[in-house]
Amino acid sequence: MNLGEIIFLITIVATLGGAAMAVLSGSIIYAMMGLVTTMFGIAGLYVYLDNPFLSMMQILIYVGAVSVLIAFAIMLIGPLYRKPKEWTTVGKFVAALGVALVSLFMFVRFVMETFPRAGNPSFKITTKEIGRLFFNNLVLPFELISLLVVVAILGAIMLALFSRGNK
Amino acid sequence: MTDLLYNNQHIYLFVALLLLFFGIAGVVYRRTLIGMLVSMELIMNGAGLNLVALNRFVSPENGYGMAFTLIIMGIAAAEAAIALGIIMLIFKKYKHIEGGDLKEMKD
Repeated sequence: MNLGEIIFLITIVATLGGAAMAVLSGSIIYAMMGLVTTMFGIAGLYVYLDNPFLSMMQILIYVGAVSVLIAFAIMLIGPLYRKPKEWTTVGKFVAALGVALVSLFMFVRFVMETFPRAGNPSFKITTKEIGRLFFNNLVLPFELISLLVVVAILGAIMLALFSRGNK
Repeated sequence: MTDLLYNNQHIYLFVALLLLFFGIAGVVYRRTLIGMLVSMELIMNGAGLNLVALNRFVSPENGYGMAFTLIIMGIAAAEAAIALGIIMLIFKKYKHIEGGDLKEMKD
């Protein structure tokens, strides 16, 4: 086992450990920290999949934008220390575990039998080719994404204005 | 050099599958709306990892999976902004953010 494989295993452990922390921890702050850990782990996995551009985008968008947005929401929502535990019951935990395990075992055999195990080591898609793909073949989805972001910004502003008017 | 650990496609697919597992468990198990939103982000990240892994190993001659993952990132950012705005509005009206107690739409 060489150094690359050891770092790969550490990345996978960080990803799954962060996901477990995001689900099982009692506080929302710890859940957000687990989400950030998972994002960094997935960025590392993108590097192993020969996609450094996508890894940078992952860190920039998820860690830089979405997690900071969630952190601001947690700060604005205020006194959650009165209910420090999420005080979910054992029955709810068992139900969550059951639903998730059903969805897991539905796909395990599908993954094992459908896809080949060995990889194809020659992968030469660069950032330049992603840009060409976007502006040659995927022009309409690209523009629709920009439209969606504009609508989301306007919607967030409208929600903020409504909440001020109700006071 | 195809026997290296990180050239194994199944590892990436199983990591994505476990992210889906944790995400679904979190959506059911979490009580607050922000916890549910964090779990939804986990599911979306699992989908992105799945797409990139399949693009890398199954059809390495084009980059559609990577482009679609970038689109997923944009949609996730917009969705998080809208969802957090709605959560703020719910908190201002009801003074809590617990998903189980919001029953106005049901009646």
